[in-house]
Amino acid sequence: MSRSVDDILFGAPSPQAQRLIRVVSVVAAVVLLLLAAGIVMRFHSAGQLEARHWEFFTWPSTWTFLAKGLLGTLASAAMAAVIALTLGLVLLVGRLSPLRLVRWPSIAVIEFLRGTPTLLLIYVCFLVLPSVGIKLSTYWMLTLPVGLSTAAVVAEVYRAGVLAVPRGQTLAARSLGLTEAQVFFSVVFPQALRYIVPALVAQLVIVVKDTTFGYVVTYGELMQNAKVLIANYNSLVPVYLVVAALYCLVNYAISGASKRLGRPMH
Amino acid sequence: MGEVSRLLTDHGPAFGQALLLTWKLTVLSFVPGFLLGMGVTVLRLLPLPPLRFVLTVYVEIFRNIPSVALLIFIVFALPDLNVLIDYEPAVVLTLALVCSAFTADYLRTGINTIPGGQAEAALSLGMRPLRIITAVVLPQALRTVVQPMTSLLIALMLSTSLASQVPFPGRELTALVSKIATDSAAGIPAFAVAAAMYVATGLLIAWAGATLEKKVRILR
Repeated sequence: MSRSVDDILFGAPSPQAQRLIRVVSVVAAVVLLLLAAGIVMRFHSAGQLEARHWEFFTWPSTWTFLAKGLLGTLASAAMAAVIALTLGLVLLVGRLSPLRLVRWPSIAVIEFLRGTPTLLLIYVCFLVLPSVGIKLSTYWMLTLPVGLSTAAVVAEVYRAGVLAVPRGQTLAARSLGLTEAQVFFSVVFPQALRYIVPALVAQLVIVVKDTTFGYVVTYGELMQNAKVLIANYNSLVPVYLVVAALYCLVNYAISGASKRLGRPMH
Repeated sequence: MGEVSRLLTDHGPAFGQALLLTWKLTVLSFVPGFLLGMGVTVLRLLPLPPLRFVLTVYVEIFRNIPSVALLIFIVFALPDLNVLIDYEPAVVLTLALVCSAFTADYLRTGINTIPGGQAEAALSLGMRPLRIITAVVLPQALRTVVQPMTSLLIALMLSTSLASQVPFPGRELTALVSKIATDSAAGIPAFAVAAAMYVATGLLIAWAGATLEKKVRILR
């Protein structure tokens, strides 16, 4: 196991250097603490530390409401992920098809969905579709666009995995007399999946983040429920801070899981 | 097709301006975000545990927070702390912070691809650690991250659409579409034109990135 660059750069400093590092570390810590103290002072002078801004976080009802929002976020994210994983597979198969009539439209759909902001797709479901007589619930107004734009990205992730499977696998499977569909679905794709599990899980983080757009269509997810809490208790900063922390925790947990999944593969 | 041409005669200049604003926001947030990310990466290499810890927290926060939530916080919550930032700088700040966190993350991965022996060799030649970072480590790391940085730039370009969430003077593409869709029945053609502009911009960035990648790729 070779050491990484930064281990070597400062790996075994001389005693003087060690002393210097210790001194600078202490200075850096002091500066950072002063910075933190400055922020707390700013909160205090703006009156944001007053109990009335925070006391409702001790009430269980606040947390049940936030939990409901989080559940809404997860419900939307889970469905969007299902849409993305299945539609992504369909788009991938279309993209790999030898028939131009199938391949080109698939590429066009992938590039279109991948290249358009999710928010724009949400506005289409929210503002445009009703004018042509299609009415979706707020759940689908959020979930469908998020699922669709993720599907295109997932299709490309799948493709990277498929291309990483050694070509000999395909040739060997063909020589055994398997049909093209069998070659793909029982030999190539399962192996491709193993390569890309970390990338797929990382994509989940993006899905969870994208569901924040739920507040555009007033679907009851975490961000939308935060808005309701703010309207009720008139304290913006604490609620947004808590909600931001919740998002960071959920997404950090997901990316942490993806790193753990990624490790044994390599 | 007729609808699109009618839309373009009505709103053609507006679409041009919206596209320019989208590009402007992209560049304005990418450049400082990229430089900030590079700074964070270098500072994280220094053997100062408190600084490393804080910067790691910084990266994890801005990598995991939804951009909309960050923007809303900056625009609507910071005034309660007596910090007032205008709408356009707020959008740019949001995107730059998110961009810096991802840049730092990718550059870190890029640094990990550099064999440790190079640092040992440079040390044995008598180079100082900081000199090694700027002359040996960073140039190689930058060359390995062209591809993820291209994807990040495209994602950033698409994220400028969240400027439509604040009362911005001037409209970028998504805000323009939502305005046209609210005011008239021309929602679908407006959406199609905006989508085409986004996709074209994305393809352009991807092409530029691929060209650059081909030029600077390190063959090991």
